[in-house]
Amino acid sequence: MKSVSDIERTTLMTFLPGRIATVFGGRRWRSLAPLAVLIVLCMLIAIANPNFIELRNLVRLANSAAVPLTLAMGLTFIILMGSIDLSVEGTLSVSAMVVVLLAANDSNGNDYGWWAVLAAVIAGTAMGFVSGLVQTMLRIPSFMATLGMWFIGLGLSVYMLGGSAIRLNDATIRDLALHRFLGLPLAVWVATGAFLLAAVIQYHTKLGRHILAIGGDEDVAKLSGVNVVRVRITAFALAGFFFGISGVLAAAQLGQSHAVIGDGRLFAAVTAVVVGGTALTGGEGGVVNTLIGVLIVTVLANGMILLGISPYIQQTVQGLMIIAAVALSLDRMRLRIVK
Amino acid sequence: MNEAFSLRRIFEGKWTQGAIPLVLLVALLLIIEIAAPGFLTGETVALLFANTAVLFILATGVTFAILLGGIDLSIQAVASLASVVLAQLLPSLGLAAFPIAILSGLAFGALSGIVHVKLRVPSFVATLATGGVVTGIALWVSDGRAITIEEGGRENTAWINATVAGLPVVVLISAVIGIASFLALRYTRFGRQAIAVGAGEPAAWAAGINVDRTKIIAFAASGMLAAIAGVVLAARLSSGSPVLANQLLLPAIAAVIVGGTAITGGLGGVARTAVGALIISIVRIGMTFVGVNIFLENMVFGAVLIAAVAITIDRSKIAVIK
Repeated sequence: MKSVSDIERTTLMTFLPGRIATVFGGRRWRSLAPLAVLIVLCMLIAIANPNFIELRNLVRLANSAAVPLTLAMGLTFIILMGSIDLSVEGTLSVSAMVVVLLAANDSNGNDYGWWAVLAAVIAGTAMGFVSGLVQTMLRIPSFMATLGMWFIGLGLSVYMLGGSAIRLNDATIRDLALHRFLGLPLAVWVATGAFLLAAVIQYHTKLGRHILAIGGDEDVAKLSGVNVVRVRITAFALAGFFFGISGVLAAAQLGQSHAVIGDGRLFAAVTAVVVGGTALTGGEGGVVNTLIGVLIVTVLANGMILLGISPYIQQTVQGLMIIAAVALSLDRMRLRIVK
Repeated sequence: MNEAFSLRRIFEGKWTQGAIPLVLLVALLLIIEIAAPGFLTGETVALLFANTAVLFILATGVTFAILLGGIDLSIQAVASLASVVLAQLLPSLGLAAFPIAILSGLAFGALSGIVHVKLRVPSFVATLATGGVVTGIALWVSDGRAITIEEGGRENTAWINATVAGLPVVVLISAVIGIASFLALRYTRFGRQAIAVGAGEPAAWAAGINVDRTKIIAFAASGMLAAIAGVVLAARLSSGSPVLANQLLLPAIAAVIVGGTAITGGLGGVARTAVGALIISIVRIGMTFVGVNIFLENMVFGAVLIAAVAITIDRSKIAVIK
């Protein structure tokens, strides 16, 4: 008797969120839901505080979206495969550490200019490459492989920085944050470039298609001749590449690198990807969804400041958003076992 | 080639997986004793235990989640919140602050479990999310600052830092928690069901086990033990802070895995976690001793974690490694 009622209860619990999603419409409508949320959010904040739509605030908004957008581009590919990359903060801090230590700084005599940026992006890519190797060659789940890489990266960067904050003095790299082109800081243009690059990779390259195929069904992808191991390693390296770029942007924006430069970035990136509508099971969603997700997260953070809500509860709100977004995505409901 | 194959078979044997950590622990102790004779005296061992206590309590909690085949990434947030709650409430409520801090952990642990089970969210995302929720609350409650436990409050935390019959009270607390968790896993219905769920969820479900309830209880236990660890830590440091336990997530998970509990669930237990926590603690002391830079600690633990997962994981259980 007991197990029967259990099954009934499970069925009810399983179908309830599904039914809510059905009320909102089918698959097509659901994919538009994040956009609707974004628009409604903007309207509500603008009504509550008209300063929100001032040009100055919109520029500020774009500026604070630059790093999360670049990060989330990388993470999107990993989540599209049905995996996760928890090493976001570690890789970002390694890249920020490399750029600060190789460009003009207040700790050593290096002054390699833009070579430092190149080295930082390569360092990020290398971290991602190693994550991919560890995951595929040692055959362990990505969340464990990247949890390890997270702390390896963090330990390495804090060690190299000697536990202190080191200033970035290279004026041209600082210009990424300070110099403006068409009214927007260069960092915003870099992030836009990252978005376009990610969109091209996802929609117009074999790699993008293969990532989607693996996320949809890895066995089928393998049987159709996709070299799953190679695609996985490439995808992790690609994610590391984007994390590397965002590390450079973060260092340029802060004008320094320190032990906690990555704090909270993983959380914001995961929230953005999931809220944008990319399914954690993989195979559904993409970089356009993530763009909307990043905007939702940034607008909400900006709006909370404008409305005078304590910035400390931002993480609380983001956490609730992850839970709500994942719970509302219909495809999860087919799974009986969730670990 | 042949040799590698047999090595792998040795590693994958269940018996050896339980024994390797113990052998490693004894070897580490011997190495230290040889390097610094006189290490294995009562006093230093008591100190070692006292320094391992918080890590062990945290790791015991996360053992429940990992035994089920899940993971709890919110323990450091819950422990920090408990430390903040304790520091905040001690002046006004006195000893009553302890149960409130611990119950807050229980509540958020149960919340993780409910989100994971009822909303069908994978545990690492569910606990990442609740961890964020909890961190936000801790930051908000403490206004982003560390709260010092003043003289008045310290009267009520002094008992945690005391010693009874030569043993620090923290060691006694962790021993009680360790034994209770051990007995709970081995001799209660919940414990057996938890191991069954970890070993094979469909079979456990088909056998009539209330999988959902078992999981929620396990995550609630994980949250409660994390809160106890946070309370003990706050009492030892005389301070509560929203980032107090942030450095403990990785060592705690590493302790569980290094002890020989498989990330795939169903295999392992609290005794193994005790061994794993001691190994992590000794490696940490050893690194300082040998002169490894303290900032590199995270790197070493990250690498150790990856290696331990690779050795203990039961790959026959996962069809596709994502």
